Amino acid sequence: MSTAGDLAESVRAAAHAADARVSVDIDTGDMKLNIGPQHPATHGVLRLVVELDGEKVKSVKPVIGYMHRGYEKLVEVRDYPQVTTLINRIDWVSGFCNEIPFILGAEKLLEIEAPPRATYLRTLLCEMQRIASHLVFFSAYPLEVGAMTPMFFAFRERERVLDVLESVTGGRFHPNFNRVGGLFKDIPATFRSECAETMDAVRNVCGELDNLIVGNEIFMERTVGVGVLPPEIALDYGVSGPNLRATGVAEDIRKTSPYLAYDQVNFDIPTGENGDCFDRAKIRLREIIESTYIIDQLLDSLPSGPVMAKVPKVIKVPEGEIYVKGENPRGEMGYYIVSKGGGTPYRVKIRSGSFSNISCLEYLLDGVLVPDIIAILGSLDFVLGDVDR
Amino acid sequence: MATSITGLIKGLGVTLKALVNPAVTVQYPHEKEELHPRTRGVIALKVENCTVCMLCVRSCPDWCIYIEGHKDKAPPRREGGKPRSVNVLDRFDIDYALCMYCGICVEVCPFDALFWSPEFEYAEPKIADLLHDIDRLDEWMQTVPEPPELDEGAK
Repeated sequence: MSTAGDLAESVRAAAHAADARVSVDIDTGDMKLNIGPQHPATHGVLRLVVELDGEKVKSVKPVIGYMHRGYEKLVEVRDYPQVTTLINRIDWVSGFCNEIPFILGAEKLLEIEAPPRATYLRTLLCEMQRIASHLVFFSAYPLEVGAMTPMFFAFRERERVLDVLESVTGGRFHPNFNRVGGLFKDIPATFRSECAETMDAVRNVCGELDNLIVGNEIFMERTVGVGVLPPEIALDYGVSGPNLRATGVAEDIRKTSPYLAYDQVNFDIPTGENGDCFDRAKIRLREIIESTYIIDQLLDSLPSGPVMAKVPKVIKVPEGEIYVKGENPRGEMGYYIVSKGGGTPYRVKIRSGSFSNISCLEYLLDGVLVPDIIAILGSLDFVLGDVDR
Repeated sequence: MATSITGLIKGLGVTLKALVNPAVTVQYPHEKEELHPRTRGVIALKVENCTVCMLCVRSCPDWCIYIEGHKDKAPPRREGGKPRSVNVLDRFDIDYALCMYCGICVEVCPFDALFWSPEFEYAEPKIADLLHDIDRLDEWMQTVPEPPELDEGAK
């Protein structure tokens, strides 16, 4: 029969043995680990060649191109109305925002101006898409760092936002609603009330997400101080969007070079301080709330009138070249359009936010622990279609 | 330590509130959501309106519409006139495996022969069976809803 003294003795012996084992210097060696291309944590088909020393990352090489669909080439054989169907699919989480810069570029080359009502509605739907996109972040990111519940809350409200988008555009993911010279159709009569209701619901879910994630100690433990990106490095790599603003740089194309109706509305640019994963998540939550207020202002001041300008039946764009950029939920989305006259663009260069944002992975993942790889990857909120085009 | 507990309790409060709220999901095969009239589900064809002008075929970004037709003589409009030459539609196929659901064909149709319908239950086990012919496209005309009323600011 064992006594308390015996038990204490055996515990002490076990602890001693454990100490002895740990103090042995194990040669962990270098190990090469392939994360992806088929790995749920890499948001699609991103492949990371990681060199590990034990649990520490020695170097990381991101390999991209598994989702290259050649959109820049494809648009060279399609006329301007057909191009919007393709560029919708570059970043499938924010289809409407992708269309805007291209359409604005084509309109500038053609010297057509969309009617004010169309401009306001474009801004409104763009912000709606931003809300939907950021809500996807709030379902995917907590899931990756180990919290499953926020997904149900974020997706519930995202579905409502997409439902309103669908009632206007006809498509949940690929609206294809912009035309050169305006919008395809006007909004249905039920839109105003539905939109206002949805915005209240979104603000409500933002409070819930704030309680569920941002205020949660476990989430903070995983994200605060992890993947710190200094502002100067971020600018060197061309990081844009919420990832740049999380480092403290107040750079937002909606404010710095306003397009659409963004100069008609009041809104703040939320900025972070530390540029870590936690800031990147917090910024996006505040951006959703700002977007709901932008939508409220636009609904109140929506001018009446037509949504389509006078446009020739066959669109032939005169010779010229132009670069137009816009603020995508993922960062700066820009199109460099070269036209040599005629119905199809001669060359289109697409600048997408995600591509530049993940180029800083080599810097961010240097020397981190293996579980932090996933936390950092998720916080950058990239879409592989946007990276590879 | 105290902060960690408040953070967790706040989160639990949110989930507890959700426990008493009704579910927002729909039990799909048994109950269905009503889709918006503008929803792009499937393209329906009003056969009598089609004049085989081929505009939809040419404007399709991924060339998934196949039309064949022939010229035929129709009786003259006025008595004693010359017989008219009309286009007769023989084949109108849309390959829904290729279709991107962009709606350009519906938009360019000058004679209002193509319409969007929110119908979506036409999945097939074989990808080749997604090529739907004129009869099927005509059947879908029954499901085309009235366009929604527009906002008061619209002109």
